[in-house]
Amino acid sequence: MSALPAQSIPAPRRVGPERAPRRLRPAPERAVRQKPRLAYAVIALGGVAIIIVAQLLLSIAVTQGAYEIDGLQTQQGTLTREEQKLAEELDRVESPQFLATKAEGLGMVPNANPVYLRLSDGAVLGQPTAATGGASASAPLVPNALIDGVPPSGEQASGQTPTGGIPDQAADAATQAPVEGALPTPATH
Amino acid sequence: MRRILLSAALLIALVGVFVVRLVDIQVVRASELNEQAQDARSQPVTVWGSRGDIVDANGKVLADSVMRYDIVLSPKQASKALVERDVPDPENPDKTMEVEVPLAQLAAELGAEVGLTGDQVQGIIASELAADPDSDYAYVAKLVDTETYERVKALDIPWVYADEHPSRRYPNGAVAGNLVGWVDPDGAPVAGIELAEDKCLAGANGEVSYLHSLQDWVKIPGTEIVHEQAHDGGTLKLTIDTDLQWEVQRIAEAQRQAVGASWAMVTVMEVKTGRLLAVADVPTVDPNDPSATDKADRGSRSFTAPFEPGSTFKALTAASVINAGKADPLSQVVAPYRIVFPNGANINDSSGHDDQNLTLTGVLVESSNTGMSQFGELMTDRARYDDMLKFGLGAKTEVDFPAEEPGDLHGDPDDWDNQTKYATMFGQGLTTTAVQIASAYQTIANGGVRMPVSLVDGCVGDDGTATSPASQGEQVISPEAANATSQMLERVYQDAWLSDEWNIPGYRVAAKTGTAQVPDGEGGYLKEYLVSVSGFAPADDPQFVVSVSYMNAVKMNSSAASAPVFQEVMSQVLKKYRTVPSGAPAPELPATW
Repeated sequence: MSALPAQSIPAPRRVGPERAPRRLRPAPERAVRQKPRLAYAVIALGGVAIIIVAQLLLSIAVTQGAYEIDGLQTQQGTLTREEQKLAEELDRVESPQFLATKAEGLGMVPNANPVYLRLSDGAVLGQPTAATGGASASAPLVPNALIDGVPPSGEQASGQTPTGGIPDQAADAATQAPVEGALPTPATH
Repeated sequence: MRRILLSAALLIALVGVFVVRLVDIQVVRASELNEQAQDARSQPVTVWGSRGDIVDANGKVLADSVMRYDIVLSPKQASKALVERDVPDPENPDKTMEVEVPLAQLAAELGAEVGLTGDQVQGIIASELAADPDSDYAYVAKLVDTETYERVKALDIPWVYADEHPSRRYPNGAVAGNLVGWVDPDGAPVAGIELAEDKCLAGANGEVSYLHSLQDWVKIPGTEIVHEQAHDGGTLKLTIDTDLQWEVQRIAEAQRQAVGASWAMVTVMEVKTGRLLAVADVPTVDPNDPSATDKADRGSRSFTAPFEPGSTFKALTAASVINAGKADPLSQVVAPYRIVFPNGANINDSSGHDDQNLTLTGVLVESSNTGMSQFGELMTDRARYDDMLKFGLGAKTEVDFPAEEPGDLHGDPDDWDNQTKYATMFGQGLTTTAVQIASAYQTIANGGVRMPVSLVDGCVGDDGTATSPASQGEQVISPEAANATSQMLERVYQDAWLSDEWNIPGYRVAAKTGTAQVPDGEGGYLKEYLVSVSGFAPADDPQFVVSVSYMNAVKMNSSAASAPVFQEVMSQVLKKYRTVPSGAPAPELPATW
């Protein structure tokens, strides 16, 4: 029990209040703090302002981009439609029905008897036989609703072709072939 | 101190209110509010996933997807809103003035573009308004092409707009129309490959929504929400060659009209691979306009219409008998006009004749039923039946075409009656499809190895994944038996009664004719005949099988109707694929003894 009083003496704590006045003293420090605070505020506000301006500029740029994209997408749509129109036209004219009708218009007939020339020795393989029969109108045999109403004859078709070059020659050939009588086939079809 | 506490309490209370409100908005009612916000300024937009193309063996397009447009008008706006246009001012040529355009003129302009009269367009508006005065939606024209759409757009009528609408187009028309099939106006597959391979071809539409500016409808960046990703269908490649298919259809249709046949089928198959190069069914549907063709002619009879093959089948029986070691091409038999077998079966030939001393080769050349019956009975019914199955008869081909028929081998050999036992030896009492017969001839031509029949070469998905069918052949008969049968069929080509009709100079050809009746599906027979020729060339190195069948050729009811088609088609095939003409002549095999 004699030890208790000795333990209950918080000797060092009494030293604290004695030193406390020192803490309240540092007046000069305040003066030093005030200056940076203004600088920080300026920097912070400046930063905010810069961020806002940057964001605004970015936003303007993005919006500008959006209009640009929109314009280009509209243009793309137009071009896609244009491409589709041309592709459809091409598909029509490269269909076998259309080609056959044009070939018949030129007075061509199919020759069912193949003959081959072997280049190594010049041998003729197969029996050469002249094409028989006239050019028949094959168009109605294999219908194609897509080329109905598209004039298949040389002249009119070339009139539709924007470039006009080669089809014009084809049209010339179409009109000349029967006159020359070079092909051993009747021109009627 | 109290003031501080009071303001602190106020502050906490205020923050508390904000927090509660925040949780309410951000968590409790978040989805509901999000939806409202989206609806207020954005609408879901469909992103079209286009249906895949169908292309031929060379990549030529047989079916593709195009954008079509439904022209729509708002009857309410048409009746109310005034349309003004800038026109040149007659007093001052440099300036324009706004003029009000009357409805009648606009209707006439619109009608002219879509093929209606002005009155018809006004009629649409009037009738729609009569039904519903607030109507904002009435069709003027459906599925117009891009050109028409652009002309309508150029009119710049505010109450007219267009709905995009993907549609299907078949650039080659009826070429392979029997195979490709078509889709209905809503894009659902109806027939043919379109239906069978829908899994490959079908695309899936997606949906996105985004915020847009109110004034000019420009998408606001970063607001796009993809609700569902769109994806395009795969590209389906067929084994068909468009040019050949056209040529075959042309030849088949020309002859069909010449001989007055009801319909015809021509099949071209590659011997080494079992690939179908052309399958013509005439008359042929044009998938661009299926309704223009009679309903019964819209499909592919080559797959769906089984018939009794008749004498073309004798080649198979001969091959089986030789394969079983029961006979060879020179085995001898006496073929009378009529023969009655011990079981009571009564077999006769197509026309009367004296007894003939025929070899197996001769039986095929003369197409003798009585002769073939005597060879066929050297095998058991079961063994012949098993061979038929191995030739691919009695079961659907690997193509699995929509509504494909397996054919009927008259049930099982146990079901065969006495007459059927013999009839099946020369192709009667059982049914096959045209493609099955082509496949059986392919087996004989390919040294006895039957290749799976293929019509689809593969599917390339929009992500680049490719599938292709397996092609593992199966040995049906020995190469020796196949070779012997091929040589006998060459003699048929050279010596049979049609040899002048189907001569292809320079090539060795193996072929057999057939004439048979067609079951009416109710146990009886139609009174019309189906005449056919099947064969392959060049016989010294077989490359192509051609099988031709004509139904009810009223002007020429015999194989003579189909022989010229066989000749023309085979010539075309040999020419197209640059097949080198045969060198040595066909080996001689005596037909008689």
